[in-house]
Amino acid sequence: MATILVNGVKREVQAPSDTPLLYVLRNDLELSGPQFGCGLAQCGACSVLLNGKEVRSCITPLAAVGDKEVTTLEGLPTRWAKQRGLSADQAAKTLHPVQETWIEEQAPLCGFCQNGMIIKATELLERVASPTLAEIKEAFTTSGPSPHLCRCGSYTAIIQAVQRAATRMVKRSDVL
Amino acid sequence: MIATQQKVATSTTDVFGAFLSRRGFVKTGGALLVGFGLVSADGMQKTDVAASGNTLNAALPESWIELHADNTILIRVGKPDFGTGSVFTAYRQIAAEELRVPVEAIRTVISGDTDRTPDGSGAFDFLQGGMPNIRKAGAYVYQALLDLASERLGVPKDQLSVRDSIISGGGKSVSYGDLVKNQHLNLTIPVKGDVHSMFGLTVEGNPPLKPVSEYTIVGKSFRNSVTVSKVTAKETWVTDVRLPGMLHARMVHPKTLGSKLVSVGPLDKARFPNTQVVVRGNLVGVVAPTEWEAIKAAQQIAAGTKWTDWKGLPGNERLFQFLKEDADWKSTPAETSKKSNGDVASALAKPSKKLSATYQRPYLKHAPIGPTMALADVRSDGTVYVYTHTQNPQALRSGIAHMLSTSVDRVVVRTFAGPGHYGRSNGGNAGAEDEAVILSQAVGKPVRVQWMRPEDFQWSTQSSAAFSDVEIGLDAEGKMTAFQIDHYMPAMQDDRLVGAILAGLPTIPAPNEQGAVIGVRNDVHDPWIYDGTPAVLERAYGTFQIGQKSSALNVGLRDHSLRTPGQYQQNFPRELAITEAAVLAGADPLQFRIQHAREKRLIGVLESVRDASGWKPRSEPPSAVNGLKRGQGVSALFRGGSYWACVANIAVNMTSGAIKVERVTVAVDPGIVINPMQLKRQVEGGTVMGISMTLLEELRFDESGVIVNDWRSYPIATVADLPEIKVVLINRPEVGKYGQGSEAANALAASAIAGAFLDATGKPARRLPLKPDYVQALLRA
Repeated sequence: MATILVNGVKREVQAPSDTPLLYVLRNDLELSGPQFGCGLAQCGACSVLLNGKEVRSCITPLAAVGDKEVTTLEGLPTRWAKQRGLSADQAAKTLHPVQETWIEEQAPLCGFCQNGMIIKATELLERVASPTLAEIKEAFTTSGPSPHLCRCGSYTAIIQAVQRAATRMVKRSDVL
Repeated sequence: MIATQQKVATSTTDVFGAFLSRRGFVKTGGALLVGFGLVSADGMQKTDVAASGNTLNAALPESWIELHADNTILIRVGKPDFGTGSVFTAYRQIAAEELRVPVEAIRTVISGDTDRTPDGSGAFDFLQGGMPNIRKAGAYVYQALLDLASERLGVPKDQLSVRDSIISGGGKSVSYGDLVKNQHLNLTIPVKGDVHSMFGLTVEGNPPLKPVSEYTIVGKSFRNSVTVSKVTAKETWVTDVRLPGMLHARMVHPKTLGSKLVSVGPLDKARFPNTQVVVRGNLVGVVAPTEWEAIKAAQQIAAGTKWTDWKGLPGNERLFQFLKEDADWKSTPAETSKKSNGDVASALAKPSKKLSATYQRPYLKHAPIGPTMALADVRSDGTVYVYTHTQNPQALRSGIAHMLSTSVDRVVVRTFAGPGHYGRSNGGNAGAEDEAVILSQAVGKPVRVQWMRPEDFQWSTQSSAAFSDVEIGLDAEGKMTAFQIDHYMPAMQDDRLVGAILAGLPTIPAPNEQGAVIGVRNDVHDPWIYDGTPAVLERAYGTFQIGQKSSALNVGLRDHSLRTPGQYQQNFPRELAITEAAVLAGADPLQFRIQHAREKRLIGVLESVRDASGWKPRSEPPSAVNGLKRGQGVSALFRGGSYWACVANIAVNMTSGAIKVERVTVAVDPGIVINPMQLKRQVEGGTVMGISMTLLEELRFDESGVIVNDWRSYPIATVADLPEIKVVLINRPEVGKYGQGSEAANALAASAIAGAFLDATGKPARRLPLKPDYVQALLRA
């Protein structure tokens, strides 16, 4: 048995320690953000944040999580609320700016890869407030174990959504 | 039309051939429900209830459209969403327009479940020749509401007007909700077709449609309602469906496409105490309580399982030689296009200039981001539930019933959001559904089958390779006098259930001369658009699935339609050849197309793409700048009522052979533009997939099977390959119909990019993909 910290909550899981984190999140904790795409760290559909760094949960064994915090797509609104010191009431009504702009730009087509795209965008924007186009492209291609793949070809919308989210997050930083 | 009295109704009204019946007063609620009556071969005589074999009944609440007393509306459509969002955006807009209600009044869209939607068909051709079922169904409902209001208000129908669910006339008004309150109303609309066939049911008759000039909803950029749930992890994806007692499974597929099972590998029961191995014929499945145990146990069993060897494929290195010299193109007659006309032979006998060339496209994969997955529950009473992401649930339903030798009434298919796979399951199955059913039946529990990444490349269907021979004659003025094209492509549509094949259970035959859907016949899929050409001959030749006949499993390189099926295989040779002919004629390739076009909508998209892309006629060949030569290329096509043109601007690295697509401009005239934002996103996506196919994709296979197994061996486009994409939408309300959007963009890129390569380098690149080694070889030649 292991205890892991997922989206701010400690969770006890029975899975063997060599189980990839993806199956623990999906089957034991019934989270639906991370998706199985390849099991090979080649596509990014399964991405989660581990202490704020994007990792591929399909090749990350449960044993490697330790006391690091896992953030999934489900946990992004809470993460944002915590970073901005929002009240519980405000937090409940909030989406992460990346999620908001993903909706405004109508980024997903089938949407199966978008979990990883949103997680990667969040990691990038927490690190670089106003990324250049080159930095955005680098984030989705060479920054991790593989590029983040979208077969539907939604890359134009993804870049526009990241740029819009960056502007919004910078503005809100000024206010708060 | 004469109304026939229906026995359970208290009164019946004829509404342009549909029938409105009232079933008396109800105390609370009330609704207008829309079902259908089948049109028989001899006309509009109807049956009272639904088509046989369909669980829907017009008398039950599970109907096509429901209008409730609180003014909310629910619509049900047989076509499932496949990522374009059309059922949630375009269908809502079209229905709201005909019904004269705000889009927001349509609270719920139920799509693609065989027990909860009426009309069948699949996730393709959503706009159904410009007349989707929902448009006519909405129009019938509107007329029925006018009849009800006329009676209620005592005002003739033609003096009524409607706005936002309120009907007014003679100084009085009534809302839709009030009309249906405390009523039990049924509207039976005429349909024809077979709900289990590929194309499902079609609404018949001619109810008056809302004039396009009065549209207020179609043409606006409404958001896709499922985007929110998809980006906030609230969507129930197919991967999230769990049933009590559900077990996880992994398959152990044969070593080659022609291997039979010799012996199943041993399982370490101490390590995997709860794992079951199911063997049926050549089907081997590993079932366990947890997913990780199923994966590890399946790996162990696969390592020890023995299969016979088989070599029956030409290998991709020898593919085109095989297709040209060895394949049987004679067993099925060639198809000649309707546009073929004039004396091509004479015109080609003595042209001023002539182009003769052969063009080749490789096998491609659909390559969904998630491998195929399905959950099946074969219950003790023999009923079967399949939970999956299929494009054609009714076709899958009948395929599963056939496999189990049971009736379709015993099978229910429910669909969920999942990874797009672009045509792979438009005939019903994507690969895992039937295997899940077989395993569930064997173990008596719900079983979830998830294919792994290598299997999804190696055991799924592929998009057919093709080649085409082209001859073009030009006169002294540089005008095309004759165009001849012969297309060759193996059978495109294998809808067999692969699990059924492996298990030795019934399924439809392999594509043959008679044809299950289309057999081995090939068609001219790319409609001819240059009507100013005096002589045209287009022929299409089909052949059997490669390897199938010699395989012990009766399985070869199974083919299946992929976005713009057949058309992109044919548009590449045609459009590149037209560009080559223009160059031979000393003409500008874009102006050359306009000169040979007669249709004003085609000329319109060509002029739009010319202006929007900054196209400049070439006065002299480009010189290299920093080792790069830049070029521009153009392509055009007609598909599903829409005209398309595309310009690609590329840079060719003259040393490495790498091609960078820098800019793509697409102009589309679909007639009526329904939702500009969604159409633009679809065009951008299709453009990226088209670039990926053009530059990167080629299925590699040896003599035994597919050898690509992951994203390294079958790379697709990444953000790094993304060009600047400009989309020009041309709205033509006067056309009166909705043309298809989305997938056509896939077919445009290859011919435009190859045209740009010719412009940059002077070399025709007639074989795809345009990988650096091939480009280098062309540059050296």
